[in-house]
Amino acid sequence: MSAPFLTLLLPPLLAAAGALVLPPRWRVASVLHAGLGLASLLAALRLVALVLDGWTPTWGPTVLFRVDALSALLAACVAFVAALAALLGPHLGRGERYTPPQVRRFRVFASLFAFTMLVAVTANNVGVMWIAIEATTIASAVIVPLTVSKASVEASWKYILIGSVGIALAFVGTVLGYFDFVTLVGQREHALNWTVLLANAPVLHPPVIQLAFVFILIGYGTKAGLAPMHTWLPDAHSEAPSALSAMMSGVLLAVALYAIVRWRAVVTAAVGPQFPNRLLIGLGLLSLAIAALSLVIQRQYKRLLAYSSIEHTGLLCLGLALGPLGVFASMLHLVNHTLAKSMMFFVSGRILDRYGSPEIGRVSGLLRVMPWTGGLFAAGMIALLGLPPFGMFLSKFMLVRAGFADGQGWLMAAVLALLAVAFVSLLSHLNRMLYGAAPAGIRRGEDRGWAMVPLVACVAMLLVLGFAVPAPMTELLDRIVEIAGR
Amino acid sequence: MSPQLVSQLSVGGSTLVLLAGLVMLWRRSVTAHIGAFTAQSVALAATTAMVGWFTGDWQLWAVAALLLLLKAVGIPILLKRMVRRFGTERELEPYVNTATSLLVGGLLVLLAYLVTSPLVSVSQLPTRTRMPLAMGLVFVSLFVIISRKKALTQVVGFLMLENAIALLAVLGTHGIPIIVEIGVFLDVALGFIVMQVFVYQIHETFESIDVEQLNRLRE
Repeated sequence: MSAPFLTLLLPPLLAAAGALVLPPRWRVASVLHAGLGLASLLAALRLVALVLDGWTPTWGPTVLFRVDALSALLAACVAFVAALAALLGPHLGRGERYTPPQVRRFRVFASLFAFTMLVAVTANNVGVMWIAIEATTIASAVIVPLTVSKASVEASWKYILIGSVGIALAFVGTVLGYFDFVTLVGQREHALNWTVLLANAPVLHPPVIQLAFVFILIGYGTKAGLAPMHTWLPDAHSEAPSALSAMMSGVLLAVALYAIVRWRAVVTAAVGPQFPNRLLIGLGLLSLAIAALSLVIQRQYKRLLAYSSIEHTGLLCLGLALGPLGVFASMLHLVNHTLAKSMMFFVSGRILDRYGSPEIGRVSGLLRVMPWTGGLFAAGMIALLGLPPFGMFLSKFMLVRAGFADGQGWLMAAVLALLAVAFVSLLSHLNRMLYGAAPAGIRRGEDRGWAMVPLVACVAMLLVLGFAVPAPMTELLDRIVEIAGR
Repeated sequence: MSPQLVSQLSVGGSTLVLLAGLVMLWRRSVTAHIGAFTAQSVALAATTAMVGWFTGDWQLWAVAALLLLLKAVGIPILLKRMVRRFGTERELEPYVNTATSLLVGGLLVLLAYLVTSPLVSVSQLPTRTRMPLAMGLVFVSLFVIISRKKALTQVVGFLMLENAIALLAVLGTHGIPIIVEIGVFLDVALGFIVMQVFVYQIHETFESIDVEQLNRLRE
């Protein structure tokens, strides 16, 4: 079954090649680029449909690629945000910000970035997954300093150094896992495949696989933005072009978390859920705490969104450790976060383009200057806060309920307190930006009005998810709970 | 080749790899760092080839050849070109002084013995008892990366970390599957090229490769 994989993975590669060859100013270049993004999204949705029909598509020698419910969900999220970025980026406003060579560079590397993420979530081999995740760092780091400034150079250096070192530690964990496997079962060609690792997990040596998981959690946790390895994240997400920030914040964190979910299933099968869950709760709570307290003192709106991503990654991690209900809530939350956060970064790119300043203090009267953009920004922020009628209300509620059901009352009390801190600070920042007098001499009205359509669609999807989880989604999530373990 | 001989030769190889890492804790100049890294890569390639000989696995010979080509020849040439470009900026005052650095290095190797004791006890391979040395190098490389102020020395620290992991893999598992190995080489090469571009960018925008100046982004 090669067709579903080729239609998913080839378009981003073609898009990169096309962007390299065609002059970026040509209309056909933009149309082709957006069309290929869309093609990849359709292929991802088809994979979801196949999985819901009971298939588990596989492809390649030694079953190199394999898509189950978890892979399908992540692939759909990645392809969705990548398609948005291909359609809208890199210019989110009037389009004077980047020169044609910069546009070309953005398109080439954003496509490669999307490709590497798609490979990471569909690879069946933990080694190949690692290679792909390492490659995400390289592909995305190149376009963080799309416009060279002291700040963007600094951000990209921190990103590539901390990201590469973190991911190297994840490789130590992968090697240790492989070591444990070959020590027991002998050299096997398929030994690094998920399916083989998972089937043999019950006989692995507990101390070795535990050590491996510590390295894996620290390694992939660095890329997922878990505290205390998160220090690169606010810098990179705020200095990158906003369309790239949307991809990084919306799905890259989720892809890194995906790797943790996969390995956690192996460790749980080997030593039971208690060991990985304790670590996940510890790191999750720390991330939530650091993010909530940092949100209070932020002065820039893109940094605000970046810290909010750390907050949500913390929540996702906590959810994973709260039993089947928690895993279900966590994965639903992941979808909500992908929609809300990527939309917010696209919107903040529009705000940055108009106001020309990343400072919250310089942005006022947003609702009067750009009514649609301002409205979307407010809706997205309310969604991120976890208020009804948006999807995150539902997933946060389910997550907290899962915690109480799991007997983690004190933990949930702490989580709720931290969420309240985040809530108050985000709301006060939002208030400052939306209202007040607009700066003198600022142009009013919306640029590139058509760009609002996909962003409004994001909000519509968040609304739908806020009322009820659609039946196919529930089925997909139920299957993920089976895969991701107890 | 008998297991005893492999065991002895792998002690020699792994010790050289770790020692080359420890050299960076007391040498200050960037050139010395590059020299130590090159020597380390040669020792790593030799150890890999030796294990390949013992196991009769042609894939390990290929890996050893790639290691030599990429890490003992290619990357050092690019590193030296960077040094010529920036002049030999010295690592004047690392965050931690030399005596403390060496002490920390010793403690990190001890820690590695503690951490890897379960690994050594479960494995049957003649090379297993060298795994603590490789893990020690992992920790020492991390320490080098966080305690240096020059972007270039941080890059060398990162390359050393990659060597440490390669050593761990060859000693513990006698080689990971070749497809993964090739992917890792590709990532190392591309990652290094991008890092190199960034070092040039840092030099252009800040007129020095001292990462202490990278402190604008904070709350």
